[in-house]
Amino acid sequence: MASNRALLASPRFVCRSCSRQARSSSSYRRSYATTSSPSHDIYDVVCIGGGPAGLSLLTALRANPTTSRLRVALIEAQDLSKTASFSLPPTQFSNRCSSLTPTTAQFLNTIGAWPHMKRSRIQEFHEMQVWDGVTDARIEFDWQPGSYASQGNVIAYMAENLNITSGLLRRIKELGGVDVFDNSRVEKITFGEETEDFDLREWPVVHLQSGKSLAARLLVGADGANSPVRAFAGIESRGWDYGRHGVVATLELEGDGWGGEYRKTAYQRFLPTGPVAMLPLPGNYATLVWSTTPANAALLKKLAPKDLIALINAAFRLSPVDLAYMHTQSTGQDDELAWRTQHTHFDPEAVPQMVVGVQEGSVASFPLKFRHADTYIGERIALVGDAAHTVHPLAGQGLNQGQGDIQSLVKTIEYAVAHGQDLGTQMSLESYNSERYAANHVLMGVCDKLHKLYSVESGPLIPLRSLGLKAANALGPLKSFFMEQASGRGLRV
Amino acid sequence: MPAPTRAVAAAASGFSRRLVPGLRPQLASLSHLLPPTATAAPSTAAATTTTTPSPTSPTSRCHSTFSSVNPNEVSHFTALAAEWWEPHGSSRLLHLMNPLRHDLIRACLAESSPASSSSSSPSSSSSSSTGTSTGIPDASITYLDIGCGGGIFAESAARLPSTKHVTAIDPTPSVLAVAKAHARKDPSLAGKLTYKLTSVEQLPVPTADGEGYDVVTLFEVIEHVDDPAAFLDRVRPLVKPGGWLVMSTIARTWMSWLTTNLIAEDILRIVPPGTHDWNKYINEDELRGFLAGKGWDSAKVVGVVYVPGLGWREVKGSEKVGNYFFAVRKV
Repeated sequence: MASNRALLASPRFVCRSCSRQARSSSSYRRSYATTSSPSHDIYDVVCIGGGPAGLSLLTALRANPTTSRLRVALIEAQDLSKTASFSLPPTQFSNRCSSLTPTTAQFLNTIGAWPHMKRSRIQEFHEMQVWDGVTDARIEFDWQPGSYASQGNVIAYMAENLNITSGLLRRIKELGGVDVFDNSRVEKITFGEETEDFDLREWPVVHLQSGKSLAARLLVGADGANSPVRAFAGIESRGWDYGRHGVVATLELEGDGWGGEYRKTAYQRFLPTGPVAMLPLPGNYATLVWSTTPANAALLKKLAPKDLIALINAAFRLSPVDLAYMHTQSTGQDDELAWRTQHTHFDPEAVPQMVVGVQEGSVASFPLKFRHADTYIGERIALVGDAAHTVHPLAGQGLNQGQGDIQSLVKTIEYAVAHGQDLGTQMSLESYNSERYAANHVLMGVCDKLHKLYSVESGPLIPLRSLGLKAANALGPLKSFFMEQASGRGLRV
Repeated sequence: MPAPTRAVAAAASGFSRRLVPGLRPQLASLSHLLPPTATAAPSTAAATTTTTPSPTSPTSRCHSTFSSVNPNEVSHFTALAAEWWEPHGSSRLLHLMNPLRHDLIRACLAESSPASSSSSSPSSSSSSSTGTSTGIPDASITYLDIGCGGGIFAESAARLPSTKHVTAIDPTPSVLAVAKAHARKDPSLAGKLTYKLTSVEQLPVPTADGEGYDVVTLFEVIEHVDDPAAFLDRVRPLVKPGGWLVMSTIARTWMSWLTTNLIAEDILRIVPPGTHDWNKYINEDELRGFLAGKGWDSAKVVGVVYVPGLGWREVKGSEKVGNYFFAVRKV
């Protein structure tokens, strides 16, 4: 039942940590500094990681009147000026997209970042088609009359991650007051020293390769799944690898969708190897997120464009058996699809429009993982986003979870500041941990179980899960409930 | 007998602040608050001894209130004091209560200076530096925290942008040493927080009208002095006209006797017998009596209850049975 809540494949591609240079985590273990040159710059909040979570944290802190006087810094390994100047023609889209729930979009609007994003590159959708690849049991999601009607019945917004981060960066620039250290590698994190005036032995100090060092009242790890901050804090992150890779690509379709420009649909089909999803982008474009075996992923990445296009079209149309066969071919999927389609019955309007092109250079893959940190807080430490939790992308919740973390953490910091508490102490941070840990845990569990449920190809689970989808589809109110969950409007878990 | 007692203990847990070991170090420091003349009564000495629970050497705590602190006690206080700032240490409930103190003080200040919120716009670079959500101008309020202990309230008050300066006093050297050491861990406190090893009487009394502190605080103090009325008279000159005296204490009721004396000391024995002098607890109406006709007005009372799992909550009417805050403005 909970299975239907999670519906969208999330294009939370390319783990940020990959671009973050693999470093030996041992160098981040707690170590006491022995130097006697305590010329650190002292900050209230130092955030490592300039992804969507880190940037929205700083934006929110600067936009909030109570927290705006805090001294804050951002450290990012990459060159943020490239991110800020993100610009692509309307016929090209980055392959790194995320689905934003209306709750997330509202938050981004509240902190003033939404107007800084390129709205013409964001595509909302109003319907979802989700079906079981083995039995074809299907659930269609669109807003029932009388259901939550505000915000134009949007289920979610598809946006390129670069559009989000560049909008946040522009908002940060507008607000001012953030010391940005980009192109900056973190050399090590230590504890501060005791001097004649102060005792910073409990303060994390971030040492940059440039020689600069920043002492942090609160060090926020928005530094991805392999979080150096988490390693420094000695917080364990537990979980497993799914043995699956997420393949992403920007697709060109034969048209702008069956419902036209103003009525877009997201599609997700559960295949035994994992869910394949096609999420709408503006115009004739869509983004693909295909969770599959590493071998299949490798094949997809090296196929000629016409064969890749054929395999993607097959993934939404042909039987798992046919599809499995086509994965054994090293070439010729194009002809194979043409022949097999003639012998397969499906409603063409119940599946996405035909893919006619794949944007060059947009095919990429990344391993899927489940990770959850034991806690999100330590003394003068807070973890947000992927540093705290990595979720299966099938529900499109990764980025939204991170934004939920930020809302909660900023609220926690605001309370501490308003009451004179030291915002970095574990006691001040407790409410952030208690509020977000349980919420993320529930959502992550649902996504994980969904993946496992639909990985089964035969046996008693198959008719049961199909029955579940069919029954849910027949019940309007139940569907509304699921959709409100998916769009972040439902019960806040 | 045991069954009903446990039931009562559970029901009364909301009022059991006195059971919290963390309060002891603070109370211990209070015994030295007054000069010999004010604390010479034997009962005060008794209170002193009982506020320093040490499972290992209970007798070593019997000492004169007025002599210099003996080495045993110093080490004992230091041990206790080291836990003062532990998030899960014995002072946890005091930490959790602290934000409520600020909520009350904010309400008081908002009442006394509605006009000041629009005036005095500091020329700081920050776009919103005028007291922001509080409506109180930046760096405008002076505090005197009497019996500051490890500095839980004093530090938090000093961090507020609206605070100009906090003077925090406590007569116990080891406790004050902990407070000072802890303040060094936050560079933002430098220049805004001053600790003084002194009693109230040793503080210089403001001579000119208009001097004195905007806010004088007595948290967990008043119930440990022998003559609260006289004590409050001594505190009064330190408050600026129009300023506030803010206190927290516990009502002397069957409930507080049950939770702090009978259950804590005699049944559970988590507090050495004799720790609490229930007779010195002060009811809200008595407090009003002490202050009546002496130039105070605008009294505010907030009853608070500790609810396990939720924290401290304001509960209307609970000032009649347990913990409460009390604030008055000097006319």
